Amino acid sequence: MARPEASAPDAVLACGEVRTRLLPTRQALDIRSAAQFLALRADERVLLSERPALYARSPETLTGVDCPLPSANGSRVRAVGTVAARAALTEGRVLQTSAYFRLPSTGPDQRRPWGHYLVRPGVVEPFGKLLPEAIAEGVLGGGRPGDLDVGLIADGLLTRLLRHPLLDQRPPLRSRPTRLRWAALPAAPGAGPSLERFTLAEDDLRTVRLRVPPAIPPDRIAGLCDDLALHDWLLTTVVHLLDGVRFGAPEPSARPRPGDDRPAAVLALRPAVDHLLHLWMPRARVASELAPLWDTLERQPGFTRQWQALVQRIRDQLTLHAIPALYREAELTP
Amino acid sequence: MIVFAASDKGGTGRSVTSANLAYQRALNGDHVAYVDFDFGSPTAAAVFDVPSAVRGTRERGLHSYLEGGTPEPAMIDVWRQTEHPHLHAWPNQSGRLVLFPGDIGGGEFATDEDALERCVDLLLRLNGEFDVIMVDLSAGRSYAVDMALAATAHPRMRNVPFRWLVFHRWTRQHVIAASGLVHREHGIIRGGVERGHDELALRSAIRFVRAAVPDPESAVWSQGSPAQAAWMQSCDEALRRLAAEHAIGDSVVLGIVPLEPILQWREQLITEEDVLATQIANKETLEALEEIARRLTDDTYWGQP
Repeated sequence: MARPEASAPDAVLACGEVRTRLLPTRQALDIRSAAQFLALRADERVLLSERPALYARSPETLTGVDCPLPSANGSRVRAVGTVAARAALTEGRVLQTSAYFRLPSTGPDQRRPWGHYLVRPGVVEPFGKLLPEAIAEGVLGGGRPGDLDVGLIADGLLTRLLRHPLLDQRPPLRSRPTRLRWAALPAAPGAGPSLERFTLAEDDLRTVRLRVPPAIPPDRIAGLCDDLALHDWLLTTVVHLLDGVRFGAPEPSARPRPGDDRPAAVLALRPAVDHLLHLWMPRARVASELAPLWDTLERQPGFTRQWQALVQRIRDQLTLHAIPALYREAELTP
Repeated sequence: MIVFAASDKGGTGRSVTSANLAYQRALNGDHVAYVDFDFGSPTAAAVFDVPSAVRGTRERGLHSYLEGGTPEPAMIDVWRQTEHPHLHAWPNQSGRLVLFPGDIGGGEFATDEDALERCVDLLLRLNGEFDVIMVDLSAGRSYAVDMALAATAHPRMRNVPFRWLVFHRWTRQHVIAASGLVHREHGIIRGGVERGHDELALRSAIRFVRAAVPDPESAVWSQGSPAQAAWMQSCDEALRRLAAEHAIGDSVVLGIVPLEPILQWREQLITEEDVLATQIANKETLEALEEIARRLTDDTYWGQP
């Protein structure tokens, strides 16, 4: 949608956080339900797309903020403006909420009326000058209590959506939500975008540091990071799924648990086949000027390479279980 | 599966036993969350041996979360953060064991609509992540019990399975009190029905755990005089009759935890090492805990007695 863009100095930093999780419903939402689910605003439509995969994205919502920016060097720069947030649903199955903002290098010395900020959606203006590098590291490292926390805004939107009556709260598999924080600094004049760092910080936290030409709007950068977060979540979820499976013949146990006669591997892997394996589609929703950043991750650590190995492993296990147990387990004791 | 751990009185071993059940499930490969809704006296940090990790979560415990003070409650990965000498290494093939601590110094509080919605948010989130969610509730007919009943009756929770364990010691007073907590006028069943639960379904989802039960047959008591043995035997029988009269007889008992010095004196997890290597815990205790943990999800032990 075209928006009245007020003239603002070029952004020197764009930051955001994406939350990614399985939609807690037994069946994936179809495109009409997805549109209903993501209708956050009456005045703007949900973006729907069926190629190359079912995808629905909510309109942007704005959250007013007035608080210090997180920073790695201890400086406390107050900033005022609005943070944009939106939610997306991929194949009616994976729910993401994404909050982001951009920062100009300088701002007014005092707070302006809200009208000033409302015509600059997704812009947060600092009081005085700021050091983009310190703020970027502050955002990625997590701020102190009271600092601007885009993760909380993404989380608030997620909490709101998860209360929707369309959800039956019967997830088909156990999985963990992930968080991906990102910060994009301006690329050197004339240089293209680059991915400087992709880190698995804690169990569920990833951080991404980018360099991006200043002309690229932050919602496109957020689009790239949503795509990275989606695929990282898929990898994480399938890895955990395989982690929990005890392969091979059941161990002789004094007290067998009920249901032990059913092949545990098949029961555990089935949800991946039903709900996850068809979702892998890197770059499907990434702006063309940012799509090359995926190549960095494909080279090292090799996202698609790992995915293919996982998919192959699941298929091999399921194939193996198509063989009657008598023959399947015959060679396991040397 | 959500499992609420309740008791009418303190000192029934509710927290330490439910923590041990959580530990046993995780050892068996389940992802387990232990949620400390014992608002009066959160003890889980001690049982899981994570005192310093809990100190780092001040102001971000479940109490603050439910009151809206913190949007995401603190969580502690027990395998990684425990100071328990035997738990340091994440056992192979075990699932996650995550503690959601209460706030230090947070007392009981009345729950409003917002707190209830947040409680439902949390339980649903955990339901998506964990196989077993063990919720330790403050003793008695507490606000925590109220909240558990209201949350499970909430329309958003209609597809989330839950069960109740009521812990009591094996004495006259405790048997009567435990029965009262469930069956009396303002008990769990009446309270649940008032909040929209189906009486039969709720009844079918409540089981009792007898804790700190001296077993007259056990080797521990074999040194006693014949008179003592006879007396214990008759007491035990009298208690069984009393329990049956108060509708908490054997048919609704999920398991019996023997009297165990470790659980009485130090409140800790009982590991295989405690039984096999150092021999400070009794084998029977560990077996009882393993068995109750297994029965939590074994449908043959649940339903209408």
